[in-house]
Amino acid sequence: MDSLSPVLAGFDVVLEPVNLLYCLIGVVIGMLIGVLPGLGPAATIAILLPLTFTLEPVTAIIMLAGIFYGAQYGGTITSVLLRLPGEASSVVTVFDGYALTRQGRAGTALGIAAIGSFVGGTVSIVVLSIVAPIVAGFALDFGPPEYTALALLGILLVATVGNGGRIKAVVAACLGLLLATVGRDGFVSAERFTFESLSLADGLDFVPLAMGLFGLAEILYALEERHRAVHAPAKVTNVWPSRADLRQAGGAIGRGSIIGFVLGVLPGGGAVLASLTAYAIEKRRSRTPERFGQGAVEGVAAPETANNAAATSSFIPLLTLGIPANATMAVIFGALLIQGVTPGPQLVTEHPELFWGVINSMYLGNVLLLIMSIPLVGVFVRILRVRPAILAPITVLITLVGAYTVNNSTFDIALVIAFGVLGYLMKKLGFDPGPLVLAFVLGSLLESSLRRSLLLFDGDPTGFFTRGISGTLLACFLAVALLPAARSVLGGRRRPATTPTIKEPV
Amino acid sequence: MTVVVGFLPTAEGEAAFTAALDEAARRGEPLVLVNSPRAGAVVSADLASPEAAAALADRASEAGVRLALRQEPHTGDIADELLRVAEQENASVIVIGLRRRSPVGKLFLGSNAQRVLLAADRPVLAVKPA
Amino acid sequence: MSSDPAGRVPAAGSVTNVVTALVLVGLGAAAFAGSLALGVGSAARPGPGTWPMLVSGVLTGLGLVLLALARRTTDAERFHRSGLLVLGAVASMIVFVALIGTIGFEIPSAVLAFVWLRFLGGEGWRLSVVISLGTVAAFYLIFVGALSVPIPHLF
Repeated sequence: MDSLSPVLAGFDVVLEPVNLLYCLIGVVIGMLIGVLPGLGPAATIAILLPLTFTLEPVTAIIMLAGIFYGAQYGGTITSVLLRLPGEASSVVTVFDGYALTRQGRAGTALGIAAIGSFVGGTVSIVVLSIVAPIVAGFALDFGPPEYTALALLGILLVATVGNGGRIKAVVAACLGLLLATVGRDGFVSAERFTFESLSLADGLDFVPLAMGLFGLAEILYALEERHRAVHAPAKVTNVWPSRADLRQAGGAIGRGSIIGFVLGVLPGGGAVLASLTAYAIEKRRSRTPERFGQGAVEGVAAPETANNAAATSSFIPLLTLGIPANATMAVIFGALLIQGVTPGPQLVTEHPELFWGVINSMYLGNVLLLIMSIPLVGVFVRILRVRPAILAPITVLITLVGAYTVNNSTFDIALVIAFGVLGYLMKKLGFDPGPLVLAFVLGSLLESSLRRSLLLFDGDPTGFFTRGISGTLLACFLAVALLPAARSVLGGRRRPATTPTIKEPV
Repeated sequence: MTVVVGFLPTAEGEAAFTAALDEAARRGEPLVLVNSPRAGAVVSADLASPEAAAALADRASEAGVRLALRQEPHTGDIADELLRVAEQENASVIVIGLRRRSPVGKLFLGSNAQRVLLAADRPVLAVKPA
Repeated sequence: MSSDPAGRVPAAGSVTNVVTALVLVGLGAAAFAGSLALGVGSAARPGPGTWPMLVSGVLTGLGLVLLALARRTTDAERFHRSGLLVLGAVASMIVFVALIGTIGFEIPSAVLAFVWLRFLGGEGWRLSVVISLGTVAAFYLIFVGALSVPIPHLF
């Protein structure tokens, strides 16, 4: 079938030396920040955006993608060895992972996690390769009403399922949408909210916004001492899981891959939800659930497989529909825009070498991670000895200098600082900056789709429901938006659950 | 009155502990072991692992010395922390291990031992590994 | 980001929550007014102000909800003394951006790094100086030397 040739062409792209190099750089950086507390993948990708200017689009996205799924591997190391999750998606791994370490089987835990991560990631890529072109083809029929509904639903899901309170997340999203209106109106050429400033006339630049809200804000937030406990360096003695361990974990790995893939595609779902759900399901279906928390290998395999599968599949909405599924994807969306590539269903057909190049690079990245993660554990534990107080100013300077290089203007540095302060205040006050960035990125798309739709329907909003797809999506949107209100009205007062927050999929 | 020893899981720290045990046994005073890592980093090589700490406790009980272990992280200078604990515990002597530092190393990073020696207001016993 | 249960910062009081909510309401109302000024048009012919009006309307509404819930809100953190560290950090960055155009990046970077290391990070004098100078040197070699980034530099 002819559809195989672009896939193979993608492998040619991956094997170019510069792409190999940046794939390696990406996954190493990803593992590093997964291990280190503080910066997460979204923040790091935001800070490295200026670097992507000098690279080809394919190379840039290969590196950024590597950072994202590499961070899932790195977060495991501290979870298992130190009972300290490096990433939110590795929180559940702590229960059984650390228990295994205390039994002297840290190597088993890390090995199972690495293998599970590899399998989960690879399965996810394979399914992605099959599903993505289909979804993209289907979405080519999308018109403005479908895009309006999809963007609305995407923003709402991210706001609802993500960190923090729902209302505050929607507030953050509204702020993002408002910030997106600053500048020249595409339809009528009116200047909106520019306050007569020439710098704002073209609208707010995405890069300083992302660098400030994600990168600088996290650094500022981390400045406040949160009295992290200090640990002695952990030694990893036994290296590889036994065959019996692998057999025991096999089912968990298989199920985790599927759960991870499905939950990763949902906007707002992602790696965290996937790891929690996979753990909960594995524990529920086990005939000996009391082993969980005491060092059950399935308790490590399930969440680790799921979080990698989810990280990979969360690329699908971005690459096929042009809708970012989570905050990190929003930043990568921005990175694509900077490169002059507009994400959307036409990406597969217009830029096949980018589409398949990125996807196929994930195979390579997962292999590299599997090879590197075990031998480098000692190195990573050593890196954890570096005090954050030393890394902070270096990271800040990289951010500020990088901000300058965007447009060779100091105004951008000031913007980064301003958004950094805003992001810090938001985090302090319980507002997740993620929905803001996501909404900002989708803002112009959402508005132009809405206006086109209204022109199409001649001002009649019920027109959305006359079209099958947009009607369904809007129904979902209304359901998700009104569900909590309905619950509180109908359900009355409910006693808070005593179990740790293990969320079931919606 | 107590004996306070600044401990690290190194040869110098071990030497200091041995000397401190002898001191404490000789004076008949309890021994306070300060093993305080620098706050901030997740992992610190200065912190004795739980197994190492248990081994130290065993050696102390064998020598008939009462041991108190202080492992809270500190901010700022370890020398200041050591002197602060010495003040708090009413130490009759502070025991520290000496490390070989090149003049260049001392220029860039300073010498904690020197800081303790110069700032202490009570006797200091400085030992080197055998 | 790691979540450390031991280091939970106390929740902010209702004053903070009320102020936050009022700021949001104010912002939403201002944006709403601005949108009306831009011209709302009609549903069939949306103007430049239509969309901002919708969004700022939602924002104002949610701000009012937060105002009502201010007493029960617990997910904000209290501002306390270590917030001064953040203030110092921001001040150092403002100085940096103010000076970088005129005297190049080397001196402001070294000063910023030193301030962060010594005063915000509590590192020793010597280590702070060494790392500050080393970082600036590395930046010079990488950005100005290897990558030829046109950042204003003195040397």
